[in-house]
Amino acid sequence: MPKLKVERLQEGMVVAVDVRNMDQMLLLPAGCTLAQKQIGILQAWGVTDVEVEATDDFVDRDDPLTELPPEEVVRLTAETKALFWQLDETFLVEMEIFKLVLRRAARRRLAESAQQ
Amino acid sequence: MKPTIHGLVRGIPRSLGSYGPIIRELEQVINDPQSNLLNVGEVVEKDPDLTVRLLRLGNSSFYGFPTRLETVSEAISLIGLMQVQDLLSASSVMEVFAGVPEEFVSMESFWRHSLACGIGARLLAIARRLPKPDKFFVAGLVHDLGRLVLYSQAPESAKEVFECYYSEHQLLRQAETKVLSFDHAQIGEALLREWQYPLQLIEAVAFHHAPMSAPSQATGAAIVHLADHLVNALQLGSSGERFVPPLNLKAWDHLGFTSDMLESVMAAIDDQIETVQQVFLSSRPVGPHP
Repeated sequence: MPKLKVERLQEGMVVAVDVRNMDQMLLLPAGCTLAQKQIGILQAWGVTDVEVEATDDFVDRDDPLTELPPEEVVRLTAETKALFWQLDETFLVEMEIFKLVLRRAARRRLAESAQQ
Repeated sequence: MKPTIHGLVRGIPRSLGSYGPIIRELEQVINDPQSNLLNVGEVVEKDPDLTVRLLRLGNSSFYGFPTRLETVSEAISLIGLMQVQDLLSASSVMEVFAGVPEEFVSMESFWRHSLACGIGARLLAIARRLPKPDKFFVAGLVHDLGRLVLYSQAPESAKEVFECYYSEHQLLRQAETKVLSFDHAQIGEALLREWQYPLQLIEAVAFHHAPMSAPSQATGAAIVHLADHLVNALQLGSSGERFVPPLNLKAWDHLGFTSDMLESVMAAIDDQIETVQQVFLSSRPVGPHP
């Protein structure tokens, strides 16, 4: 089941796994169809991710790096790598953070060029 | 002559600044068994500036309540009394350091980094299902206070630290240790001890670069460590460091997170920082409390 960030949830999606707060109180049961009210409840309790029933529409396949020219990707990658102190490429979590920062930089670059 | 940690910290007395009267009055009301939320709301409402800030924060994505908060009593009942006290304490700390010379780092950049770290630490505490996540916001906010102490109390030594820092490829913390024989985490620890902050918060600050060495509160230190790493990576302000300091693998393992939560936490920090920065960094009118 795809796990989606709360801000990406949409009305009509179906919750796949019970959602509980930090005290294990049930907020939304599996099978519940989301409306704006339910999404608000999740935000109020600080829930960050929810597993929803899979449909193709809900899976995010966007990678902003594929939309930039290759030389721009090389430049952004080098700039981002230089930010990290002795980036350990065998440390998977740090590499995941690096990739997220790189994608964020790419999204910002795309937004800037769209504005121009 | 090289400064000592004690000498640096001695120059900064604990002051609640313009928040002092309201913090003390709130304590009295909260400790009075006869009082209720309305009484607490009345105390906060005496300060129009604080009222606006509280409602603004309560209505932002920082709390993300589904309904709009209209009154201070509503805000306090949803946010919580202790959390409101934490927010006041955070505001008073920022006031103590208002007016620090900007020779080494701009104050806007310093507090942006600190607030973003607070937001990140709070989100990570929520994700880890820790109680009182707003305490982690305060811990993130004060994690680099030691640097402000150094910049304000010993500018000549701070200058030496930065000269050393830029002369070699190294972290700012390493340059601090070379020049001073101690670093900003130790200064921050001494300041918070002097100010009699809770042990959990002192350890989170003292060990935010070496969380697994914290004697009793490794989780808190690890949360601030990870939040600091993410915020440096997102380049949301800076306390003087130009690199993203390394992430401690043992601290990551200790927290027990999976990497698929990082994207949503980083997006939420990005989402919340602008409003939180506006709430905390808008200048406070002089003499707000009657």
